[in-house]
Amino acid sequence: MDKAKKIWKFFTSMQFAVILLGILAAACAASSFVTQGQTYAWYASRYSERKAALIMTLQLDDAYHSWWFMAISIFLCLNLLTCNVIRLKSLVSRFRAFAEMPGPGRKGDVSAAAGTDPREAFGKLGMRRVRSGKGEDGKEILYAARRRAGIFGAWVCHLGILLLILGFSLGQYMHKEYTAYGVPGQTRLIGDTGYAVTIDDFRIGLRKDETVEQYTADITVRNVAVSGNGEAASASVSVNHPATLFGMKFYQNSTGWAAKLTVLKDGTKTQEEVVCAGDYLTVADKPDLVIMLTAFYPDYIFLDGQGPATASSSLRNPGYLYTVYYKGEVLGMNVLTGDDYLTIDEYTVLFSEPQNYTLLQIKQDRFQMLALLGGIVVLLGLFLSFYFQPERVWAVREDGEDWTVYGESRKGGVLFRERFAEVFGKGADTESSVPEERKEASGRDQDTK
Amino acid sequence: MLQIENVLFTIVMLLYFASMILYFVYIAAKKEQISTAALILQAAGLVFHTAALVLRGIGAGRLPLTNQYEFATSFAWGLCLVSLIFILRYRFRILGAFASPVTFLIIGYAAMQSKDVHDLMPALQSNWLGFHVATAIIAYGAFGVSFVLSVIFLLRDKMKESGFLDQHIPSREKLDAISYRSVSLGILFLSFCMITGAIWAERAWGSYWSWDPKETWSLVTWIVYAIYLHLRIRRGWKGKSAAIFATVGFICVIFTYIGVNTFLPGVHSYK
Repeated sequence: MDKAKKIWKFFTSMQFAVILLGILAAACAASSFVTQGQTYAWYASRYSERKAALIMTLQLDDAYHSWWFMAISIFLCLNLLTCNVIRLKSLVSRFRAFAEMPGPGRKGDVSAAAGTDPREAFGKLGMRRVRSGKGEDGKEILYAARRRAGIFGAWVCHLGILLLILGFSLGQYMHKEYTAYGVPGQTRLIGDTGYAVTIDDFRIGLRKDETVEQYTADITVRNVAVSGNGEAASASVSVNHPATLFGMKFYQNSTGWAAKLTVLKDGTKTQEEVVCAGDYLTVADKPDLVIMLTAFYPDYIFLDGQGPATASSSLRNPGYLYTVYYKGEVLGMNVLTGDDYLTIDEYTVLFSEPQNYTLLQIKQDRFQMLALLGGIVVLLGLFLSFYFQPERVWAVREDGEDWTVYGESRKGGVLFRERFAEVFGKGADTESSVPEERKEASGRDQDTK
Repeated sequence: MLQIENVLFTIVMLLYFASMILYFVYIAAKKEQISTAALILQAAGLVFHTAALVLRGIGAGRLPLTNQYEFATSFAWGLCLVSLIFILRYRFRILGAFASPVTFLIIGYAAMQSKDVHDLMPALQSNWLGFHVATAIIAYGAFGVSFVLSVIFLLRDKMKESGFLDQHIPSREKLDAISYRSVSLGILFLSFCMITGAIWAERAWGSYWSWDPKETWSLVTWIVYAIYLHLRIRRGWKGKSAAIFATVGFICVIFTYIGVNTFLPGVHSYK
């Protein structure tokens, strides 16, 4: 065998698949102990500079999207694909041959002497359709097979894994994801889709003990790419109950606090806007001046050594932590409560009307169904593999009177032989009588899949 | 309702303990009648256990599958159920002597957890929860039985001198075959569990797979058992090697169940 053939054989072998699976399992297990998506500085402070450098070099900070993880996955897919392509023809042949009349001299995994017509006994082994014929040696033969579809079990399972990985990978690289947040009445553009989402209402359902029962947002999505009133559709979105509008799926992702920020100049209102915690407002006639609602505390308290905090999630004593920037530099930072206000030169800044905002996640993933189909096919393949194990029995009439019964199961092994013995009595030869050459052939076949 | 569940839980622990002791006595005394008594106590324990879970479900107004206590007691229930099925299906009562201590350990772990009933957070309010966790319980139970069978396989040679055990423990080939059946059941249900979990995650978090530690370790467990199944096909990997591998697989199961929740923060953490 030349070198190229040897390499090809190795790359399409089960041995290579097992090696790849082992590496994949080890990589996943190791990566689960490394917090994903952090910076070098974060790892250096958490572990050590040396370990942080190692993490960054090996891309363990984003292990599941690293080049080596991709490489393992691609090799595994190619191995599965070639394995399935190579095996299909032999599996179809095996599927056909399994129901055919066994050739003369075939002994099966197990055999027994049966005096009478064994059709009824075949039924006890679950063989419903018993066929008869004459062998090449002229002997009368009864034969039956069941669960032949199981021959394709592993093949179907591999196909499912391929579909699943394909659906997942395509989804990872081609999906579009957006977020939109706001309070009721606000409208946000959804990325570059040409649609905008309006938050009509947002409710937080509370139980008697004030724990959250559900977050629900009523939304309207409108096509804003066309002039005038574009097509619109409304839906209600809550946790576990996403809505699909215009091919986009809307999820109720999270919530936070927002407040009305009012700017007065020399006592006259010049600006008013609802800002969410983390958002800022640029003063219209003085763009170098920026006011940010850094955080919001619904039940504000000040803890020594810890700073501002909230005593509960109830809106009892609103506290607005603000930061003022001037020309990009922090000018000041403090907490406003009650009717407090902030004065900067001729400007007065007020926070009021705290309310919850909703954060919606919006996704377009056309390959999600492919991944789901892959999962279902995997289940089907596993079911066929484990619970549709092909079995066949046949009986040869010896000397015109007595029958010798044979049985064969590709995976049933000792358990099949025991069932066979139960039906055909203790006289059954339950020692495996698979010829060594068949075992060898089977081993080689499986080895290259 | 929950008070009755507490009483039932205590009865279940006592029944499982008594069943375990009787299985040990059965091996020591070598009397078949004792194994029958042990089997009856195990079955009775399972009935009471089922009742306790049902009552907890009624009392909580939801499926009792959402915190560490509920999952641990359900895991023990799954292991007890699967082991009982295998004992009866393969007429293999000594399996009870090996499976019952594992069941007792798991229910003991459950007893150490908080039994408080809390209302579910919005993400857990899904019909998929039942499918996801129920399939996990059967999968873990089946892997538990395969672990026990592998231990019996590995210890079998050391038991050779006892004629009784030799008669009552199936041949190495049969033990290996039953263990394979058990792993087959486990990996099928683990696949169900992962797929139902993915469907649920997509609805709750907008992503069906996000490499959360629990997801990752479920995948690791799945891969380990997939390797086990592939290696069995190759010559020379049945028997002892397969038994050792199944044991390693169960270590992954336990880590996925307890280790991940304890050491690796994620959406499945119950802390």
